[in-house]
Amino acid sequence: MARRSQGTKLHLAVLCLVVSCHAIGLSDLMERASQRSDQLPHSLVHADSHFPPMGRVMMPRPSMCHTSSLQTPKDKEQALRVSENELISLARSLLLAWNDPLLLLSSEAPTLPHPSNGDISSKIRELQDYSKSLGDGLDILVNKMGPSSQYISSIPFKGGDLGNDKTSRLINFHFLMSCFRRDSHKIDSFLKVLRCRATKMRPETC
Amino acid sequence: MMWRDVGVTLILSLILPVVAQGARHTPPGKPKLTSCRSPDKETFTCWWEAGSDGGRPTTYSLFYHKENSETVYECPDYHTAGANSCFFNKNETSIWVNYNITVVATNALGNNFSDPVDVDVVYIVQPHTPENVTVGVLEDEDGPFLRVSWEPPRKADTRSGWITLIYELRVKLEEAEEWEEHRAGQQKMFNIFSLHSGGVYMVQVRCKPDHGFWSEWSTASYVKVPDYIPRERSMWILIAVFSAFIFLILTWIITLNRSSVKHCLLPPVPGPKIKGFDQQLLKKGKPEEVFNSLVVQSFPPRSTDYEDLLVEYLEVYVNEKQELMPEGKDLRDVGCLKSKSQSDNDSGRGSCDSHTLLMEKCGGVESKDESSYEEPELLQGQAGSWERLERGDSQVVDTPDSSDARVKTWPLVFSPSIHGSSDNHHYGTLEMPKQHSTSEITYSVPDHLFPTSTSFPHHHHPEYRDSLGEYSEYRHSRSPSTGVLYHWEAQHHPQAHSNFNIRNLERQKEATGLGLPPSRSMEYVEVQKVNQENQLVLKPLSSHGRGPSQVQFGRAVVDYSKVNGVNNDNVLLLQRQREMAEAGQYCDYREKEGAEAERYPTQQQGKTTKDGPVATQLQESTCLTTSGYVDTVPTMPTF
Repeated sequence: MARRSQGTKLHLAVLCLVVSCHAIGLSDLMERASQRSDQLPHSLVHADSHFPPMGRVMMPRPSMCHTSSLQTPKDKEQALRVSENELISLARSLLLAWNDPLLLLSSEAPTLPHPSNGDISSKIRELQDYSKSLGDGLDILVNKMGPSSQYISSIPFKGGDLGNDKTSRLINFHFLMSCFRRDSHKIDSFLKVLRCRATKMRPETC
Repeated sequence: MMWRDVGVTLILSLILPVVAQGARHTPPGKPKLTSCRSPDKETFTCWWEAGSDGGRPTTYSLFYHKENSETVYECPDYHTAGANSCFFNKNETSIWVNYNITVVATNALGNNFSDPVDVDVVYIVQPHTPENVTVGVLEDEDGPFLRVSWEPPRKADTRSGWITLIYELRVKLEEAEEWEEHRAGQQKMFNIFSLHSGGVYMVQVRCKPDHGFWSEWSTASYVKVPDYIPRERSMWILIAVFSAFIFLILTWIITLNRSSVKHCLLPPVPGPKIKGFDQQLLKKGKPEEVFNSLVVQSFPPRSTDYEDLLVEYLEVYVNEKQELMPEGKDLRDVGCLKSKSQSDNDSGRGSCDSHTLLMEKCGGVESKDESSYEEPELLQGQAGSWERLERGDSQVVDTPDSSDARVKTWPLVFSPSIHGSSDNHHYGTLEMPKQHSTSEITYSVPDHLFPTSTSFPHHHHPEYRDSLGEYSEYRHSRSPSTGVLYHWEAQHHPQAHSNFNIRNLERQKEATGLGLPPSRSMEYVEVQKVNQENQLVLKPLSSHGRGPSQVQFGRAVVDYSKVNGVNNDNVLLLQRQREMAEAGQYCDYREKEGAEAERYPTQQQGKTTKDGPVATQLQESTCLTTSGYVDTVPTMPTF
């Protein structure tokens, strides 16, 4: 519910922007965006908990996530050196890159050979909502930040389906979920770094 | 020699296995990675536990490789984090990268690999405990409160936003068992209110990254709360004092109005009022004197009198054909014998009071002569107990009766069906039907009590005819056990009268009526009893103190005369009956108390002529009977 209200707030922010009111500052937007992004990993953890730990051998390596092509900072120093525009761009790119996979996951979840596939599918739907609202908020944010921040890298998703047999479907599903979990962490971290940079007036929020 | 060899061999064979056992080595057991943790998302440490060492010194080494390369690295630092640990410093730590870590145990005989573990640093963040936890007591208008403040752990870089920490603290009294936990979010300060005065509190704080593990609790900080009176308690004291004050005031007020409160809460039970019972006498005198005054000769009635004492009901009918004067309208109402029950001083009358009984025979009260009618409040119960004997005929009445003529219906139940029977019945033959059931308090004045000549077989009857009407209404209830005494107030209003036909339920021969000359004064006639002829034995109560028989009730001497009937001259024919009179015997009133006969004239002024008939009538009946008392309770239903 908090997310919904935040989505509503973001939409209100859009309206405000339309009528040229600058009631909602950048920092507030960042705050809300980061709060929204914070929820992604949590949700993913819940979804991931349904899956038993799988044999590492069979699990595809995380480097095979489709977003691994996107260059992102690997540690704190690198991350702190990244510019704000790039940070927001990375966040938005990552978010965008997961729209299609989420669609696939949501379509596959109900037929997943898993006892709690109902919970999983509802979680997937939830993730879709979060992503959508976060994406909208970030769009508003970049409008405020300027044109140079609006660059988005396009990361295509080529995975057609999860596989044919039951085991591979489960494995691939789990793999996709873990990739998304990591990427949601990245998005969250980038936005929080961005927030701290944007709110120099209120260091206590960092 | 050989023995020595054998001995050495034996010894060797004994010793060698032992030695050999001690010298048996095996490769080390399998180590196991227990946990990896990163306090700041920049470095991390992994710990393992060793398996069996296999009897040889064993070394452990950790190897890892990152997810997208096959290069295996060894742990750079085995010492910083303690034994069986590997510390990865900043340079070697990558975020969002999976580390595949393996620990190898090696001894002289071999080595053993642990199971590999995948670690992503971003998921294993567990910060250190918050630092500089300070607790202070501050004052507020509501009382003291605790202010707890802390700082993030040194290593966590929250300033750049790399790590976002949320905090939690817990508080308890030193001697308490349960902690009280509070989430503080991202703030580094917290206030705790509602403290126990004089208590010692313990406070601890911990933190957690947005996606990670909780840190350990900080070391407890102690703080003592100074003594104070809680504001709430002082408020309660104030409330208590205020209520006590109000309570005192209320008590004082109640004490002042003690009597009225008592009267309100505990209404006084009305005391018994027995006629003739002198309470003062009771208080002062001896009980015997008091009770003696209550003794009535005729009471309790003797068994022989019981028959006579049976009181039947009288129906009092008002002549319907006769129209009432305008004032007569009241009569109609009155005719219903609605008497307002009035409470008089006498008590204990309620049982006979019944609206329904009276209303049953609500008939129209009609007066014969309109013109001469003047309807006083007939039947309007004043005291309700008295009926008025009215003079219908002005001719009869010379002297205008001044006072308000009131017909007071008798308290005893009485349903006077008053109906005008015919023209000239204005008599009051009070003959009570004998058989009228008295189980209830219905009564009806028999039809023939009244006006028609037939109802008056009595020779006195014609005398009644012309009488305009004395209306006697009375009520009585049959009380087998007690005689009935009616107090009859004969008041004759010269001008107002209504036709009340008082009829007996049963036609009785005796229509001996006693013509009552119109009189203006209020006369009380007491019905002593009902004789077998269903005649009311009336005895005029003389307010003048005359009285054949002084009823020793402590009150005014009353004379009782039995009304045989009302003759045409509107004369109440009173009868006297001896105490021991059997049916049909009448005591001569005059005989007994000759003076009484005179009274009637006095009652009806100017009607000396009536004395004659009165007297003559009285000759017939002579006995004065004192029967039981009828309590003329004016609790008759109001009309």
